[in-house]
Amino acid sequence: MEDCTYKQGKLPTCAPLAMGYTPMQQSSEPAYEDKMALARGTLFPGLDLPFMNMVNTPENLSTPLCELMALDFVVQELKLYLDTHPKDKEAFAALQTCIRLSREGRKRYVERYGAITIDDMRCAESFTWIDQPWPWQWKED
Amino acid sequence: MFVYEKKLQYPVQIKNPNPKLAKFIISQYGGPDGELGASMRYLSQRFSMPYPELAGILTDIGVEELGHLEMVGTIIYQLTRNMTPEQVKAAGLEPYFVDHTAGVYPQFASGTPWTAATMAVKGDVITDLTEDMGAEQKARTTYDNILRLSDDPDVNDVIKFLREREVVHFQRFGEALRIATEKMDQKNFYAVNPAFDR
Repeated sequence: MEDCTYKQGKLPTCAPLAMGYTPMQQSSEPAYEDKMALARGTLFPGLDLPFMNMVNTPENLSTPLCELMALDFVVQELKLYLDTHPKDKEAFAALQTCIRLSREGRKRYVERYGAITIDDMRCAESFTWIDQPWPWQWKED
Repeated sequence: MFVYEKKLQYPVQIKNPNPKLAKFIISQYGGPDGELGASMRYLSQRFSMPYPELAGILTDIGVEELGHLEMVGTIIYQLTRNMTPEQVKAAGLEPYFVDHTAGVYPQFASGTPWTAATMAVKGDVITDLTEDMGAEQKARTTYDNILRLSDDPDVNDVIKFLREREVVHFQRFGEALRIATEKMDQKNFYAVNPAFDR
């Protein structure tokens, strides 16, 4: 059998009847860069299957918060991939790198804009957890 | 245990309130294929799963769905904020308004309150994972339908993201089913239920 492209996956040649078979994703590569992944809703171009070609672009995702969202989104995508591909060493290395980047980004974000988890209160001077707007309270500047 | 993160998974920034859109997008909050049902389905099914990959994927997707519930709630909140009684009437939102004012309540687009009857926990590995794949497709179709009806770019931006997550989750549940069947009796997948017959 010829090698599969990144948009395809392997299936058993002879499989028992009366079962649904989804092709296994072969690799965590190719992958979008983090903001593109967030814009498209997936890290993986092979799974990027939009409705009526309606797609988002990453231009509007340039705020510091979006940068953090993008890193955390890549962590989420790699985590789900690894749940079903736990022996994939490359994907695991990518996950670890991205967790480190996210931690660094989070530290910088929290210092400037305020807490994300209650853990961020450990160095605060007073209880500011409820001071910043809640995530749903976005307002146009 | 869960730790709250004071941020959304993906930004929701709706400039123009529009209660007409909220009337049907509410279905992805508490409707038959909405995010509340999705998170409850996966976070409940995982307890009886016999293989670590399955407990893992159900936990991690179930938690993500809670984040999606928050995003859809945010859409409803922003579409209905600061609305006047006149705007309520113009949008035909009176029945909802009378019961919930501008609160966010989990219900179908048709008005039925969220019900656990829309989700299943069968306690059988093949059955539950097959249900989950169907559930992702139903949610994907609902988001497709919302994209057909909504003309607000700020709303559609978020809906496109949520819709694509359904595609990714479908793939992962499909892979989880492959992993499960590989551990089962290859001559008869239905010989026993590994979630019960240990």
